[in-house]
Amino acid sequence: MDHERKRYLAATLAMASTCAFAATPPVRGDWTMAPGDYANTRYSGLREITRANVGKLSVAFTFSTGVNRGQEAAPIVAGDTMYIVAPFPNTVFALDLSKPGAPMKWKYQPTPEPAAQGVACCDVVNRGGVFWEGKLIFNTLDGKTIALDAGTGKPLWTTRLGNIHIGETVTMAPMVVKDKVLVGNAGGEFGVRGWLAALDADTGKVAWKAWSTGPDKDVLIGPGFKPHYASDKGKDLGIATWPPDAWKIGGGTVWGWISYDPELDLIYYGTANPGPWNAEQRPGDNKWTAGLFARDPDTGQARWFYQFTPHDLFDYDAVNENILLTLPVGGKPRKVIARPERNGFFYLLDRATGQVLSADPFFPVNAITGIDLASGRPQYNPEKQPATGRTTRHVCPTSAGAKDWNPSAWSPRTGLVYIPHSNLCMDWEPVEVNYIAGTPYIGAETRMYAAKGGHRGTVTAWDPVKRKAAWTLREDLPVWSGALATAGDLVFYGTMDGWFKALDARTGKLLWRFKTDSGIIGQPVTYRGPDGHQYVAVLSGIGGWPGSVVVNNLDTRDKTGGGGWNNALPDLPQRTAPGGTLYVFAIPDR
Amino acid sequence: MSRLRGWSVAAVAAAGTCGCNRIQSALAPAGDQARDIGTIWELMLWICGSTYLLVLVALAFAMLRGHGDGHRVAGERTIERGLAGWVLLIAGLLTVLTAASFAVDRRLHATPENPLKIQVTAKQWWWQVDYLDPDPSRHLTTANELRLPRDRPAEIQLRSADVIHSLWIPALAGKEDLIPGRENRIVMTPRQTGDFRGQCAEFCGLQHAKMALDVQVLEPAAFAQWRNAQLAPATSPVSASARHGERVFVSAACALCHRIRGTSAGGVSGPELTHLASRRTLAAGTLKMDRGTLAAWLADPQAHKPGVDMPAVPMSARDREALVDYLMGLR
Amino acid sequence: MCSRFRTASAVALAVLLLAGCERERREYHAAPTQAPGTQPRLSTLQPGADQATPASAIGRHYENNAYHVSQGSKWYRWFNCNGCHGNGGGAIGPALMDARWRYGGSIDEVHASIMDGRPNGMPSWRGKLTDQQAWQLSAYVRSLSGNVRKDAVPSRLDGMRSTPPLTQLPELDPEGDDPSAHTVPQP
Repeated sequence: MDHERKRYLAATLAMASTCAFAATPPVRGDWTMAPGDYANTRYSGLREITRANVGKLSVAFTFSTGVNRGQEAAPIVAGDTMYIVAPFPNTVFALDLSKPGAPMKWKYQPTPEPAAQGVACCDVVNRGGVFWEGKLIFNTLDGKTIALDAGTGKPLWTTRLGNIHIGETVTMAPMVVKDKVLVGNAGGEFGVRGWLAALDADTGKVAWKAWSTGPDKDVLIGPGFKPHYASDKGKDLGIATWPPDAWKIGGGTVWGWISYDPELDLIYYGTANPGPWNAEQRPGDNKWTAGLFARDPDTGQARWFYQFTPHDLFDYDAVNENILLTLPVGGKPRKVIARPERNGFFYLLDRATGQVLSADPFFPVNAITGIDLASGRPQYNPEKQPATGRTTRHVCPTSAGAKDWNPSAWSPRTGLVYIPHSNLCMDWEPVEVNYIAGTPYIGAETRMYAAKGGHRGTVTAWDPVKRKAAWTLREDLPVWSGALATAGDLVFYGTMDGWFKALDARTGKLLWRFKTDSGIIGQPVTYRGPDGHQYVAVLSGIGGWPGSVVVNNLDTRDKTGGGGWNNALPDLPQRTAPGGTLYVFAIPDR
Repeated sequence: MSRLRGWSVAAVAAAGTCGCNRIQSALAPAGDQARDIGTIWELMLWICGSTYLLVLVALAFAMLRGHGDGHRVAGERTIERGLAGWVLLIAGLLTVLTAASFAVDRRLHATPENPLKIQVTAKQWWWQVDYLDPDPSRHLTTANELRLPRDRPAEIQLRSADVIHSLWIPALAGKEDLIPGRENRIVMTPRQTGDFRGQCAEFCGLQHAKMALDVQVLEPAAFAQWRNAQLAPATSPVSASARHGERVFVSAACALCHRIRGTSAGGVSGPELTHLASRRTLAAGTLKMDRGTLAAWLADPQAHKPGVDMPAVPMSARDREALVDYLMGLR
Repeated sequence: MCSRFRTASAVALAVLLLAGCERERREYHAAPTQAPGTQPRLSTLQPGADQATPASAIGRHYENNAYHVSQGSKWYRWFNCNGCHGNGGGAIGPALMDARWRYGGSIDEVHASIMDGRPNGMPSWRGKLTDQQAWQLSAYVRSLSGNVRKDAVPSRLDGMRSTPPLTQLPELDPEGDDPSAHTVPQP
């Protein structure tokens, strides 16, 4: 090649590489919705904090919410402001990250009804707000969705969706998709009929509401509904799979996570357990509870549904996170939902059709022996079949599941899903229960204890392609915090006695930890501050369903107290007191 | 002396005619199982009765025979032969009884073909009756009455929510206990239409005596019609008074323990009342079903069935009137 | 000598048997309700000089009656008290078997809490429970903290064993000094 050509080629190559470099989008530095992004990966491309320097991570600033109840929220960061939604009474704080110590910019104090505390099954938690086009939108425990001006904290609109007199509350973090605020209710333990509503983000008016039980017109099932499996096909299954009228108090609430695929234009979310826990009072598959819906976000019309646990026997809510990934399955890349499910199986589903591609246990399950891929149905273990008045021993997982709501994280760099979860089994006794509106509609006594191994919690790094764990880490206490994965090859999570930890994402080795002032059950997030540096934030404050033994001063002589947790956590009150503080960490003296 | 004789004759006559009602009598079987039990009962009666008579005759012979012949005693051989014959006879009859009992027992416990599946749960002191169906939306719950189609075997699962009870519908089948923590099973195949009565046959507490079950055997078509009517939710109240009565029911204590489908009342500890007025009795056979008795029952259940779990709910007379109007409309 | 022994033992046996008669009356009809003016106060703070609120006889009566306490244990499950309070250990609502009482732990105060409800989530049952049912429930709640006579307390439930038997619970006086009287066992 002569010199002219070489120079021409070099210049072209230089331009092309510059263009390529310019075309790479900058790494996102904010955290505007609780799951991090629409795919619910909880992964951040920020890599200032690495495995090499995380040992130096220290507290940059703290902030007290003033409420010593379960802190399950994810701090929301948009621009140079951080937004914290506290547990009841749901004060919202805006912190100015551009000033040293992040002083409060404003705070907004809604006035939720105090009686709402009596119908919240699992402590008076809130899982966070969402930032959307200059608004901070959040839910209050008594069922109001409020949009605040993110700059001033003034309320823009308030929509009441919940009714505490039937035992309905709202605890979930809302999500905004295409100018619609998605809100779901809680209260499956009170016989509350579940729904997901879409509110117009500018006005708060209800655009559509999809119920989780009842006739097809309520569930927004129409001609576009194409479920993959035969048992989900039929007319008005939300009535036909229940005894007469039982669907009206049937549960299926929507208190967990929502994902969105912009290409397929579908939202994905799960429905919670059917009510009551005593399955003999509701023979039938109990659709559309304990399953996963794919819906059109504009109209709410259902596209497909898959029921993880038909005729749920053990309170296996299906509200866990749906991580949207493209993974090689059977040699070809497929658009999948990766889901560590409550019932102890890790599912890969085709997110266009709802077909289950694989389901493998990530926890020693004995309540279900396997998932039949042809019918999609779980095979229940006949030895663990419960009956009213009879105690079934050693059922794994417990009613809190192999993993409850606390979300896992995905790292594209390691190809692993980091699952923070429990390692518990239970004794289970269904009893007859009366439906009395506004009181618990449960009908089961439970008592939880450690599963095989003797430890009560685990962090599992699961390889969804190889369909097995790459590594696991044992924890003494159940892990009830969310996980965070970063491009620094780190995984962050917290323990119920207050340790905030960073693990090597590839090996699971503990690289750093810090003892906060109370147990951690919140969702850690990471962001780029106004100074350009990476920060990691987490709320510390024990509570939630397992932490009730601490925040409610329960008496652990009653083994069934706390919904069965008293038996599993008699030592928790010694190891942590209630708290309510935000901790933000960074590498000092950069 | 003659008066004593007169009284004893009357007593025997009364006792004898007690079994003459055909509603609750094991001597008037109306179903296959009761007939089988009746057959073996008769067999036992004849065999044991005749054996008993034979024994009485032999005893009478021994007592009344004089000693005129001196000390003539039958020879050893005769006695041996007589005894051997008697033993063989008894052994033979016992074998017949054993075989018959075994055969009837097997028939009673045979698995029926295409049975109507029912679940009866005994609670102090009433019966919860559930009609099961593979289609869960056709699961029917009712209380204190059992309606069966003629000629179709009904397989009844028996459970108890508290103490041991026993279900006995003598015209249709034998007794079977309802034991907490265990599921028993009984099969009944009615062959005659009509009204029958069952009751609790195991002492279960203060009101064991007032725990009856109203049984009606219907033609299959009538049964299907009844079942479909029962599946419908409660009739909406029409009159203003009945509407007020519905409000009273739902907002006062009633809804805590009773269910009326179509309203928000969802209690299962007490009998389901969705079609209360279609039943013939109240409080498990304690009272007839009509306005007067219902009003009296609501005013003070403890006066009619002391110890029952339903309290006398304090309410104004107007509210009670309205409530009775509402409940009597629940056909 | 023999006949005197026989007479003596006959008398002793008769006394023993008769001692069981009418030991307790079962009241199926409600006992008369509490006279107005003796409602328990919610706060011990009174301006000026304080007046003691007398403990009501009706509460004591219910607490000492085995039938009423046993009925209370039935209502505790029928009306979903166990859904919020567990079998005394608490869950959504506070524990009822310890000596810590937000709104008072005497039977009158428990009865008032049940009927009136309380601001942070305890529903009000007035108009839903009869007064007798509420007293029976209050008596049962008292038994959960050992404050009912051991011969009036219901024996253990048939289901999954959850608490120590009520007949063996130590008496935890709500006015007592040490609210953390129970020890926390190791897992």
